[in-house]
Amino acid sequence: MAAIDCKQFLNQLDAWMDGQRTADAQAHARDCNVCRSMADDLGSITTAARSLVTEALEPPAHVWTSLRAQLEREGLIREPLVRVNETPERAAAAGSWRRWFGAIPRPALAGAYLAALVAVGVVLSGPISKRVNDYRWIQGTQDSTSPLSAHLNSVEQTTMASFPSSNPAVTAVLHKNMAIVDNYITLCEKSVHDEPQNEVARDYLYEAYQQKADLLAQLNERGD
Amino acid sequence: MSMHHAVPRIWKSAGLLVPGFLLFGVASASAQRLEKHFKVEASPVVTIHNPNGAITVKAWTKSEVLVIATLGSGHVELDAEQNGNRVDVMTRQITDSVAPDDLRADYQINVPQDSELQIHNDSGAVSVANVLGNMDVETIAADVDLQDAAGYLTIATVGGSFQCMRCAGHIEVNSISGSFRLMDTRSKHVRAQTSTGNILFSGDFLPNGEYRLKNYSGVIELRFLPGDSFDVSATSLKGKVNNQAKLTPPNHSYQSTSKYGQALVGSFNTAGHAHVDLTSFDGTINIVKRD
Repeated sequence: MAAIDCKQFLNQLDAWMDGQRTADAQAHARDCNVCRSMADDLGSITTAARSLVTEALEPPAHVWTSLRAQLEREGLIREPLVRVNETPERAAAAGSWRRWFGAIPRPALAGAYLAALVAVGVVLSGPISKRVNDYRWIQGTQDSTSPLSAHLNSVEQTTMASFPSSNPAVTAVLHKNMAIVDNYITLCEKSVHDEPQNEVARDYLYEAYQQKADLLAQLNERGD
Repeated sequence: MSMHHAVPRIWKSAGLLVPGFLLFGVASASAQRLEKHFKVEASPVVTIHNPNGAITVKAWTKSEVLVIATLGSGHVELDAEQNGNRVDVMTRQITDSVAPDDLRADYQINVPQDSELQIHNDSGAVSVANVLGNMDVETIAADVDLQDAAGYLTIATVGGSFQCMRCAGHIEVNSISGSFRLMDTRSKHVRAQTSTGNILFSGDFLPNGEYRLKNYSGVIELRFLPGDSFDVSATSLKGKVNNQAKLTPPNHSYQSTSKYGQALVGSFNTAGHAHVDLTSFDGTINIVKRD
């Protein structure tokens, strides 16, 4: 049994990320897969961020979007949402997280910070600014998904037209499933539009696009 | 009706049937059974590419890969070759514009237990038993059925279903409309995601195991025993979450329920032994006791 609990591990996370890992923290990480996963994820983000700094490359917009989505998925940039009620320990931990993200180039973090700021705004603001923030969320989602959607639709047209139809049953399954994914995207878009800050809906929307891209890639591979 | 009219009808029928039998005979004659043997060392890699037909793979104790192919017509041929410790099996179409059934090829393949498999099958069925090496299976419409598998299992279907009996190792399965049944699973890592299919998980929750089941619509059913131990998080954005497990509040302060849809989070028995994450968009999540 580990000598420290999850809260104590969280308090040591700052030191952990700096490589100062106490025996208690290591024992806890061995036993608790949630804390271990979180520490691993943060380590991966920090490593990726450092490589971006080293390469001094500016990633394209979709990388920022993916990063933001990933951060949201991991629950890392929802932190401002709970800051209203946070304890001093959590505030300290949050400060540490912000310090690690300091290693990420500013352009790459812009989306993430925008999301965090909007989230804080929602907590603190009244109905008028909520509408403004909802609009920003919708706009942000559309800005990131519209080019992707247009590109995928274009690829879909060329791929489906050139896919060898030697087996009508297989072709029918492909068409049916492409329609399922398209419908899935439509419903997710509607859901994001209705509840712009719903992270689960946004997560599903991004995944629906990813699924469509995967399906088209698979078809292209088989069509070659 | 008089006999006068009946007799010619019989002959007419016979006139239709006889050429039919002859054609059947020609088709049968063109179906071909081939058998190939390949001597291999430990942990061979076996790849199988088959557009249409059944692929059945079974482990045996010999250091040999046996391929028995039944080709549906003369329009396809078996292309099987060995490169070092790798055996590649492929159905090759040799004429254009043939009927789908003429492209059919069925395979019965025996491999050493520690083989690594890479299988691509558009339609038909894939069945693998007792193979313990890594496995990568991709299908469009074909169903996939694994038994007593282990290793790193990566399964992707477009519309085919997936069933896994007594599987261990690391399981990752993705589909668009296929349903999954993971029965008597002994895996420490399960990630299953389908858009419109159902997901059934009934297996062990191993210490520090991670079980993530996700769909868009359909039913996710998680079955547990009274002695199991896991942290669970379940969210259905537009659907329902039904729970029979008596949960205690979560052990991790940063675990929280989503404020959207129906959600629950908590620990079942001694917390932290396994982590279960169930997510659906508008499907139903059932956490139920195993019989």
